[in-house]
Amino acid sequence: MKEQGLRTFKAGIHPPYLKELASGKAIKEAPVPEEVPILLQQHVGAPNEPLVGVGDHINLGQKIGSSEAFVSAPVHSSVAGVVKGIQEATNATGQKVKAVVVTPDSNQPQFSGVSRDIEALNAQDIVSIAKDAGLVGMGGAAFPTHVKLSPPKDKPIDIVIINACECEPFLTCDHRLLLERPEAIIAGLKLFMRAVGAEKGVIGIEANKLDALDGLRKAIGGSADIEIEVLEVKYPEGAEKQLIFAVTGRKVPLGKLPSEAGCLVQNVGTSIAMYEAAAFGKPLYERVITLSGPGIKETANLKVKIGTRISALIEACGGLTEDASKVIMGGPMTGWAQAELSVPVIKGTSGIVVLTESFVDVRDEHACVKCGKCVEVCPMSLMPNYIVTATQKGEWDKAEMWGALDCFECGCCSYTCPAYIPHVSYVRKAKAEIGAAKKAVKK
Amino acid sequence: MNRELLVGVSPHLHEKDQNIERAMRDVLIALCPAAVVAIVVFGMNAFYIMAVSMIVAVLSEFVVRKIFRRKTSVNDLSALVTGLLFAFLLPPTTPLWVVAIGAFIAVGIAKELFGGLGKNVFNPALFARVALMISPLSMYVSKFVKPFYWRHTGFFSNVITSIDESVAGRIVYKGITGNVYMNAVTSATPLSLMKSGRMLVDTVTGPTPVGATWLTSGGRPSLWSMFLGCKAGSIGEISILALLVGAAYLLYRRTIDWRIPAGILGSFLIVMLIAWNNPVYELLGGGLVLGAFYMATDWVTSPSSKSGRWIYAIGIGIAIALFRLLSPWPEGTAIVILHFNVIALLIDRYIAAPKFGALKKRWINKLPVSP
Ligand code: SF4
Ligand code: SF4
Repeated sequence: MKEQGLRTFKAGIHPPYLKELASGKAIKEAPVPEEVPILLQQHVGAPNEPLVGVGDHINLGQKIGSSEAFVSAPVHSSVAGVVKGIQEATNATGQKVKAVVVTPDSNQPQFSGVSRDIEALNAQDIVSIAKDAGLVGMGGAAFPTHVKLSPPKDKPIDIVIINACECEPFLTCDHRLLLERPEAIIAGLKLFMRAVGAEKGVIGIEANKLDALDGLRKAIGGSADIEIEVLEVKYPEGAEKQLIFAVTGRKVPLGKLPSEAGCLVQNVGTSIAMYEAAAFGKPLYERVITLSGPGIKETANLKVKIGTRISALIEACGGLTEDASKVIMGGPMTGWAQAELSVPVIKGTSGIVVLTESFVDVRDEHACVKCGKCVEVCPMSLMPNYIVTATQKGEWDKAEMWGALDCFECGCCSYTCPAYIPHVSYVRKAKAEIGAAKKAVKK
Repeated sequence: MNRELLVGVSPHLHEKDQNIERAMRDVLIALCPAAVVAIVVFGMNAFYIMAVSMIVAVLSEFVVRKIFRRKTSVNDLSALVTGLLFAFLLPPTTPLWVVAIGAFIAVGIAKELFGGLGKNVFNPALFARVALMISPLSMYVSKFVKPFYWRHTGFFSNVITSIDESVAGRIVYKGITGNVYMNAVTSATPLSLMKSGRMLVDTVTGPTPVGATWLTSGGRPSLWSMFLGCKAGSIGEISILALLVGAAYLLYRRTIDWRIPAGILGSFLIVMLIAWNNPVYELLGGGLVLGAFYMATDWVTSPSSKSGRWIYAIGIGIAIALFRLLSPWPEGTAIVILHFNVIALLIDRYIAAPKFGALKKRWINKLPVSP
């Protein structure tokens, strides 16, 4: 599996990727659902307030929720239709959030926006377009893009990296976008570079997507400031800090943002959304997601309207197989298992992966046997085993010392743990407790 | 879509074939060559010791966990591994009832009383070995015999149940089959020969399977004898070749970390070279190789970080060498590793590689001051 000589980060794992299940499927439009619950918070940051009322008729792409806060991103309607209600809904992580539920019209219009000359846009224009279009990181973190595009003045950014790793097993939506829309990706990258004044753009791509290189090279054309960096196939190559290290050799200081290392990382999908927002005024109301895994009848890469319930998408793929046992929103390493299939797709949803019994290896947690395998694979060089023991004993200061706050929950440790310890759930608990303790101290 | 879907926290994939049983199975497989050599060299007696030790180890685990109302864990195979490793540490003359007591100490006390696999501080097999060594039973675990002594006593019949030293100056072995044998078969181990400067007078005559005679270099087993296993010693430690074959398998399976044996053997050799104390002989003698590959590499009782493991391993290597050079005893592998089991806890507490992106590259943890 290991490609020699390619750049990468330290540690990490080689899970089975199984990308071939869906990587050959061209992107198709998903059907318009009968009911569209659009969550008002789909990003990291302040929640939005609804801008529409029950019974209103709204247009495709109309802004239906926004917030005054800087760290937030507005949401737009993915269909033309009538607001049926504004109510609480459960998101993929099990939290209750407000949602605008829309009943779509039977005839859906084509999106008609503006036509802009993107070459004429300056940095400020680009940032405000990104904000207005509700752009967020589409790789899963869903951090508002305009915030990333507005780094502190004293931290100039010289490199913009497009994250084309897609290191999560099964997911292929970014791979398809790389194959099908390389021009849009490069155009988006150029907009990002202009927005932050970076001299260089790099596409960091894992070596399992070499078929996309031709198209990318063509799209780059004569732009000398854009490079492609082929990286080793390893998980989590696409994690922000790991990717920055693999591409540039720079380390983002602990607890700091990538701007500290002069880098900006954007996902493939976000890059296309940036381009479409700038060129056509199209807000982020649809995205491409992968439906894959052994537990789904047909795998697919679908262009999906935000707010489509995952049950509708699974139906569009022929339903679940008999032995399907786990439905995951996102990739299998960091995604969230769903008990109910009524949750809607949001901007950060990159896929739906359905695993079968033979893939789901659940066992009772054993006491840590200190094999050190988690320490060996942790890409942040933490001591996951001692985060767990400290958390079990409620020693939050020690949990912090072992790195609970620096863990980005990639799951490498649990993947390889012979004792089947769910480190990530301990880490989340420790983070919550440490956070609460810090707040209490401030007061 | 009415079906029960599994939930649970990410990650939803787990590395194939990465679990505790697999590791334990690996160790059992790796110990097989040495077990076979033990039977060849010491007869079925070695087999009886291993069998009793493993059976008692498994039973002790089962019973003690029942008493503590813990879930049975016999199928994680760890009791079998402990049982076999403990047997490996015993001389072939150990009476079976002493073997049984030791196996119970290993699993029932050193492992389960500390809280079960993962919570134990000491390597259970070593703990039991040293416990017997310093107990009133020590006389039963300190008599070594010549390789292939069974040519005098029979391959199968020699089950030693007790040792009687009452006959002045002589040792009498009592077998359950009624056999009684004299001290003609006892032998000092190569390391104690070295220590005392004595020579071995070969009273076992005739050819051995590995060569015309196993005594060559100046009244001591030759290096080849030492390497292949034709020497006096604990049943599992004698054949360096067999131990290395098993170790190669464990390293290939990545069940043990190469840093630990490399650190131990490397630092040991360096000290012995400096002291110029017959380094190769020392390397092949005693329980060093068994300890370096199979005891010190025990997951639970060694540090969990790479840097910690280097410190631990180098420390053990130096300590064993110094023990052998400076103490009145010929061998100290068991006692040294046992001490380092405790030191491993400290190492893990204080030594950790700097986190990725840490501004201050600190290798030593500053423990938070508990309020
Ligand atoms: S991988 Fe699991 S058993 Fe091994 S040290 Fe880490 S937490 Fe403990
Ligand atoms: S401790 Fe956190 S960062 Fe390290 S491997 Fe585990 S989940 Fe990943």
